[in-house]
Amino acid sequence: MLRPTRTLAAAAAALLLATACNSAATSGSGSGDGKAGSVRGVTDDSIKVGGIVSMTTASGYSKKDTDLGAKARFDRANAEGGVGGRKIEYLGAEDDGQDPAKNLAAARKLVQQDKVFAVVPMSSITFSGADFLQKQKVPTFGWGTLPSFCGPTYIYGFGGCMVPSPGGTISQTWPEGLKDVIGGSEGKTVAILATDNDAGTFAIRTYKQSFTSAGYKVTYAKPVVPATSVPSDWSAYTKEILHSDGGKAPDVVVSVMQTPYNIGLFTAIKRTGYKGVLTDPTDYDPGLLAKNATRKALDGVHVLLSFQPFEQDTAEMRQFKEDIRKAAGKDVPLNMHMVTGYMSADLFLAIAEKAGKDLTVASFQEAANGFSDTGTLVGDRAEPRGRTESFGCGALVQLKDGRYVVSSPFECYEPIPFK
Amino acid sequence: MSDLLGFVLSGLVSGALYALLATGLVLSYSASGLFNFAHGATAYLCALAFYELHSGFGWPAVPTALLLVCVVAPALGWGLDRLMFRKLARVGETAQIVATIGLLVALPALGLWVVELLEDAGAPVKPAENQFGLPGVGPSPAVSWQLVDGVGVDSDQLITWVCTAVVAVGLWVLMRHTPLGLKLRAAVDNRTLVELRGMSADRLSSVAWMLSSALAGLAGVLATPLLGLSAHDFTLFLFVSATAAVLGRFASIPLAFAGGLGLGVLQNLVAGYASFADSITGFRTAVPFLILFAGLLLLTRRQRTAGTAASDAPPVDYLTGRSWTRRWGPWTVAAVLLAVAFYTVTTPFWSGILAQGLAISLVFISFTVVTGLGAMVSLAQATFVTGAALVAGLLMSHGWPFAAAALAGTCAAAVLGALVALPALRLGGRSLALATLALAFLADQVLFQMGWLRNGDTGWEIPRPVFGPVDLNDDRAMGVAMLVLVTAAVAGLSALRGSPSGRAMLAVRSAPAAAMASGVSVVRTKLLLFTLSAGLAGFGGVMYASYNTRITATDFTAMTGLIWLAVVVAAGVRRPQFAVVAGLVFALVPHLVSDYVTESVHLPVILFGLAGLALANDPDGYCAAVPVRLHRRRAAVSAGPPLPGSIDMRLRRGGAPPQTPDRPSGSSSSAGQAGTALELRAVHAGYDGAAVLHGVDLAVHPGEILALLGSNGAGKSTTCKVAAGLLAPGAGAVYVGGRDATRDGAVRRSRAGVVLAPEGRGIFPGLTIEENLALRLPGKGERDAVYERFPSLAARRRVAAGSLSGGEQQMLALAPLLLRPPQVLIADEPSLGLAPRVVDEVFRLLAELREAGTALLLVEEKAAEVLGVADTVAYLAQGRVSWCGPRDQVQADRLTEAYLGIAAPGPDRPEQAGPEQAGPAQSGPEQAGPASPGPQASRTRGVVQP
Repeated sequence: MLRPTRTLAAAAAALLLATACNSAATSGSGSGDGKAGSVRGVTDDSIKVGGIVSMTTASGYSKKDTDLGAKARFDRANAEGGVGGRKIEYLGAEDDGQDPAKNLAAARKLVQQDKVFAVVPMSSITFSGADFLQKQKVPTFGWGTLPSFCGPTYIYGFGGCMVPSPGGTISQTWPEGLKDVIGGSEGKTVAILATDNDAGTFAIRTYKQSFTSAGYKVTYAKPVVPATSVPSDWSAYTKEILHSDGGKAPDVVVSVMQTPYNIGLFTAIKRTGYKGVLTDPTDYDPGLLAKNATRKALDGVHVLLSFQPFEQDTAEMRQFKEDIRKAAGKDVPLNMHMVTGYMSADLFLAIAEKAGKDLTVASFQEAANGFSDTGTLVGDRAEPRGRTESFGCGALVQLKDGRYVVSSPFECYEPIPFK
Repeated sequence: MSDLLGFVLSGLVSGALYALLATGLVLSYSASGLFNFAHGATAYLCALAFYELHSGFGWPAVPTALLLVCVVAPALGWGLDRLMFRKLARVGETAQIVATIGLLVALPALGLWVVELLEDAGAPVKPAENQFGLPGVGPSPAVSWQLVDGVGVDSDQLITWVCTAVVAVGLWVLMRHTPLGLKLRAAVDNRTLVELRGMSADRLSSVAWMLSSALAGLAGVLATPLLGLSAHDFTLFLFVSATAAVLGRFASIPLAFAGGLGLGVLQNLVAGYASFADSITGFRTAVPFLILFAGLLLLTRRQRTAGTAASDAPPVDYLTGRSWTRRWGPWTVAAVLLAVAFYTVTTPFWSGILAQGLAISLVFISFTVVTGLGAMVSLAQATFVTGAALVAGLLMSHGWPFAAAALAGTCAAAVLGALVALPALRLGGRSLALATLALAFLADQVLFQMGWLRNGDTGWEIPRPVFGPVDLNDDRAMGVAMLVLVTAAVAGLSALRGSPSGRAMLAVRSAPAAAMASGVSVVRTKLLLFTLSAGLAGFGGVMYASYNTRITATDFTAMTGLIWLAVVVAAGVRRPQFAVVAGLVFALVPHLVSDYVTESVHLPVILFGLAGLALANDPDGYCAAVPVRLHRRRAAVSAGPPLPGSIDMRLRRGGAPPQTPDRPSGSSSSAGQAGTALELRAVHAGYDGAAVLHGVDLAVHPGEILALLGSNGAGKSTTCKVAAGLLAPGAGAVYVGGRDATRDGAVRRSRAGVVLAPEGRGIFPGLTIEENLALRLPGKGERDAVYERFPSLAARRRVAAGSLSGGEQQMLALAPLLLRPPQVLIADEPSLGLAPRVVDEVFRLLAELREAGTALLLVEEKAAEVLGVADTVAYLAQGRVSWCGPRDQVQADRLTEAYLGIAAPGPDRPEQAGPEQAGPAQSGPEQAGPASPGPQASRTRGVVQP
């Protein structure tokens, strides 16, 4: 009676096996195990790299242009003859959908199936593949906004480690840059607002110290905005903030929140007639200029960025724009994700260049140790310093009449110890 | 003061959106009993469509919005109702709760996929990602006005208020002052009765879903400026608005509407004045979920006994009684093959994925405990996973060994589970599910935001254990270790199921009251189940985290738990081994699809959403469906011509068309006998697996009362159901007015003039007397005639029918019939629970109907009274008519026999009164067959689970 069930189970098992065999066959043929002593992903004339980027998400936030940025930089490297005579074989980026499980699976796929030499770029809000990549000794380059970019020896942030940790340092880019805007910090008051979660609490702690030590007086610093949904009404927050300086409004309102929050907060603050400085670290996206509502909401806001602004006319920036145009095949609006991908690739290439002809993971790591250069889109780079702190460079741009203008030029500042 | 005013006014904006969503939830819930998790996704889809059409294609805002809200969204609702909701209304509660979770992720993916396709086709669509400050219907940027100092209003807010007010008035008019609204409310009250009254409940369900979808669409378009294009935010918004639906007890639209408005205001006030909670990270974020949880605890009526979904009848287990090898052989072989595969054929990548699938299987098995054994839907399993892993990681960072840390984590999860269960246990079904969801969000937003527990975004490292020579850092060793653990868990749970405590759990699941009477503590059993399940989930979580070698607080969110449940239930939640299949499918399929089928990331998600569709057809999951389907096919093949008892008899409501009645050749089969109003011929019927009627022959003539007598369980109510079209006969035929009506459902039967007055009262208790009457008598003059005849009803025409006395309710049910006598009236125990004087009155009314030419089939247990009015009497015993004859031939001993159920069939068959009342001769031989399984089985179905 039960034969069909059994047959079915057996068939399922066989299927499973077949799948496994199949994958063994497909991935086996693609591996570079051809000759003894070869390096994963490196042949005589190519270096295989692939990336992990969150492209599709349920939150509507996507970093997919990171892929384009990396491609643009690799394309130029290949056009210039590659690194140490080897072309970069860029496989593109896996989409992790901001899902930790997918992030790890993508890392495994790149290493175990695609056999890449390095993971470039890695940009997501989650990085559960970090431990695996570190253990497998896979050099990985990405946006150092996650703790995994701080400490592990194989994982590099293109701008260094951007998560300050107690005992480490805090970058002073933001308070120092603002001095350009309001003419020094002497007697200036600052209110800082963040979301009501652990990340917000941590941000408040960091920036409170950062602004205080730059000479500002912090009159308000609270992580109180509901973190999961944008409030429809901001009056409760604006009221408190705008009376925090002994009943008066502070000189600067700092938002450490995402764009949708900033739109709501800044609109509400401006409706009260506030004349001070508004600033946040996330809204440098020329795409925001395309819409009336965002253009109006963010008008006058000073935005912090940790790379050279697109508006700054330097040789590196011109090169960047040209590379992007070539890779996209047309003029595309620039955004910071492209810089992420571009500069992740750039740091990888610079270190690989230094490692020279005899490229192995060990030689690559050796080259990284003691690597330094200057004058890039993210300022002066140095490893292994970048494992523990950010390169400390940045600029402020102001959204004015529908376009961004540089309000504090790109510069590197000395970090302070994080207590 | 102006603060307060400002908080209230702007709170009304989100309040208005909550109200729209909550109203839609209530409508769809009442239409098909589903809590539509995908309601927010529908809103998102409309927001996305609005954005693309308006900003991308450049269509004007207002017409686009109208098109979406009035045409597209209702069409979507209609389509989904046809495809799945209609079927889901008839399956168990677990499948209902879960089915829409698939849609929750599938609908947004569908929208994005379409955008992707359009973009490839060169349409002027805009990317849907990273879009902020989107234009709504009004001007963009919004125009704002200062009302008084500090209180401002902008055009988007104003539009939201006006639209909501218009909708509120429109809904009120529709529901209270139109025939359609009346029917909708009647369907909410009693779906079956609506069908018996000749209104198609399916069509009404479609209407309700269309309305509900339109409301979601409206909320989506209005919320675009506020929420942007984040499907996640829309879904969170929906969960919050569920609070308002709870306030309306999922039935009252006005209450839900008011609740939504109040919720928005309350939330704003708390945000404005909750400075006391500044030291608790996450408190303000969690406010909506605190309100949801409190609302559920305070407002949910205690229904049945704690947490039980009694409508979840277990599927028939066709493997019962088979040998161990038959039951477990295939699974064992599969496990051994898998273990061997790790060291022979799988590549490192696939070994890793398989190990991951097995690790998640451990978590999935925990659903088998709480949902499979306990019939409680827990949406907080991800919380237990995160909690256990965080605790284990914390301890390991202090140097604890793996095993000890894992044990401690497991215990922590178990304690957390008990804490979740305690307040939640008094809730049942959907409320319990929502309460666990609220707690899961609370844990995410408050508990797991505690710095010492989560260790920032870094989380804790959980290195894989090394036991002597076994180093689990090797994925293959990890995989085999997981396989062993999974096998142990499956074996343990299967043993538990068969043990006395397992039987106690099943007893609690199936019949809490009976279990209590047998000395089983329901609360303790449920608490135990919840704790056990949480502990198991926690243990699985530690293992899964050790596969990842790290745990961070955001790895498994409340939403993850939601998806997990859907994945497990889609496979089958009643057996632990199904959960293992689910875990492997969950881990493997995405990679297989992306490797061999499609590169698109949206398509697999859309496919996943189709699991809901599958669930509508196989509510017990695809794993459980395999043996059932095989068995059915085998039964169909081996049985040949259907034999009574072995035929696959299904409720018509189950969706399958009834089998063609197997009519003997040569007999006058094409038409019923001349002159009969209703005729049942050799009817066999029953419920899945239990035959009740074994060849019933009955005929009723116009102007005749046929009294059907019989003991409890003889099949009287089943006969009524078959006659009214509620139940399709497995074999035999039903003729109405000489026409073959076997295939007609209740609606068509009713329209053909066959009216069933069901057991209990055939009224809509939630509607007023006037409305009850208006459903059958649309003309005011007719209703006035009724009031003239029954002055007691006239005096209370605005009173809800449910508050009438039993006698008055029966009058109300029969009154419209007197005015418009039906062809056939089937009255199932009309005297049940009535005072003797009222019973006389009821029988007088029935006699009056007979004078009007109605043919009456009267089912009664009160033999003495009914004999006073009946013209013909039939005895039903063990699913057969054992005697049928004129009233004056009724003898006391026959009556006794009929009641004791010992009416002798076969040789002692009593003489028949006349040819027209006799059944066809060929039904005779069948009567020799045993009448097993007992009809009693149908009533007690679900008490003892195999």
